[in-house]
Amino acid sequence: MLEVNIKKKIGSFILDVNFDVDKEILSILGPSGSGKTVTLFCIAGLIRPDSGSIRLNGRLLYDSEKRICLSAQQRNIGFVFQNYALFPHLTVNENIAYGIRNQSREAISGYVQELLDLMHIPDLGKRYPREISSGQQQRVALARAIAPAPDALLLDEPFSALDTPQRERLEYELIGIQQLYKKDFLFVTHDLAQGYKLSTRLAVFDAGHLAQCDYKNNVVTRPANQTVAKLTGIKNLMEGYVLSIDGENVKVAVPELERPLQIDNHNCNHLVVNQPVFVGIRPEYVELAVEDGENTICCQTCQLVDGVTSIHGRFNASSDTDKKYNLEVDLRRCSKITAAEGCSCLLYFPPERLVVFDR
Amino acid sequence: MAESYLSPLLISLKTVLATTFITFFLGIAAARWMARYSGKFRNLIDGLFILPIVLPPTVVGFGLLVLFGKNGPLGALLNIFNTSIVFSWPATVVAAVIMSFPLMYMTSRGGFEQVDVNIENAARTLGASEWKIFWTVTMPLAWPAIVSATILAFARSLGEFGATLMLAGNIPGKTATIPVAIYFNIQAGHMDQAMILVAIVLVISFSSLMALAYWKGKARRTITIPPETL
Repeated sequence: MLEVNIKKKIGSFILDVNFDVDKEILSILGPSGSGKTVTLFCIAGLIRPDSGSIRLNGRLLYDSEKRICLSAQQRNIGFVFQNYALFPHLTVNENIAYGIRNQSREAISGYVQELLDLMHIPDLGKRYPREISSGQQQRVALARAIAPAPDALLLDEPFSALDTPQRERLEYELIGIQQLYKKDFLFVTHDLAQGYKLSTRLAVFDAGHLAQCDYKNNVVTRPANQTVAKLTGIKNLMEGYVLSIDGENVKVAVPELERPLQIDNHNCNHLVVNQPVFVGIRPEYVELAVEDGENTICCQTCQLVDGVTSIHGRFNASSDTDKKYNLEVDLRRCSKITAAEGCSCLLYFPPERLVVFDR
Repeated sequence: MAESYLSPLLISLKTVLATTFITFFLGIAAARWMARYSGKFRNLIDGLFILPIVLPPTVVGFGLLVLFGKNGPLGALLNIFNTSIVFSWPATVVAAVIMSFPLMYMTSRGGFEQVDVNIENAARTLGASEWKIFWTVTMPLAWPAIVSATILAFARSLGEFGATLMLAGNIPGKTATIPVAIYFNIQAGHMDQAMILVAIVLVISFSSLMALAYWKGKARRTITIPPETL
């Protein structure tokens, strides 16, 4: 169990986060500059926070009040760097063995070979880092980090420089490694799909603070704010205000749309009537409608882009020409009805797919 | 006859070896410290370290004379132990160390700055002490720069003339190094003596450059420095 509660000021940037990792892979998600890497460096002991505390399995690593700050060497936390940071002058075997202590030479070489086998690179031990591919280098970096049996493993966008097939293989292997070692893994990424795949819980960072830390399904379906919504792919966001609340159902008026939107099955506890809110929906949940009705908006089609997995259409959803909403719709789900550029069409927002949060 | 060029050669060799040895450690210590130092005096300290190379050697020599003279702070300190280095052999080493230090410092600092901080950080998270990291990670990665630095410092101390003459003077058999001996031989009209000494300097300087080039060619095949990644 890794409990983190730290504050750190760097120039005008203020990091202030509080979360814990409990024998799982917790993914930290956030745009660049949101403090993800600084957080990892603070936990590893490479940067000293200004205040707060860090506790790992009950052991205090840092506490500003008790004036405790263990060095990186004393913390026993593994770190996998974005650029691998392998020792270029040492062989793969020597790289992996670097952190292993108090063992005979035979024991070390046997253990290193075990790790090479675990990482599916059994024959690379005598090579130098520059002689192997970047995917293999990252496997060596992983093996090196887990070799001293760390109590926690921090990974800073470790797979971002790899191509898709290699990245996906390593993602599955990382899940396997975590299940094998059952330690606290903290995985920094800016890719929602990656974080979602690896973790049961996600921590979303926004400008130095924790915007949301929750089960991944909740983060995706119930974003806490605009940043989380945008990061998790809710590309259609409209500004409105609450018209009425009825149990778990809420009606939101968006001034630019011809009729209010009905949202069902939503947690409305924190909402009050007339409160300014955002209404959002993912492109893949918007449907093309044949008949006009509730939650149906008449739009102009402006652009259609054919992608590999989806056809994206952009629509102007406003009657008011001054303030237009560019809505993005994934049309693959609406294959029965065709849309053409320049034509008007009806878009339907399913009430159970819309999300509402504070503005 | 033989003694008249053997003596400057021996003095120079002694001075250059002692100087290179001292400059090597001083330069590396200063370079290592400054490569990771980012305090507000960075530019000031950096300027002070490099100063001897931009000043005329006679100015440095004058400064050293003032420092080590009877009334100078360091001279007074040495006086307590009943010793003085002005116009003695150690003065040739002091002058050469001061003059070769900036080259050792600048070149090895460049080498240390090339070492990716995260490679050292990786070693830290693997539990290696700072001392172990320095010797097993930082030094091997900065090694090509350090070898270059050492050879430059060696060559600079071999050629040191101005500051040496000011602080150590020209005492044959005591402080007359090769460059000083060449100058005074020419002054006295001993062109043949000067010529022999010139040839000796040429051989030493040229072969040290060749050694550097050879070693670098070999190093390129075995050691690669990772590009600075941020």
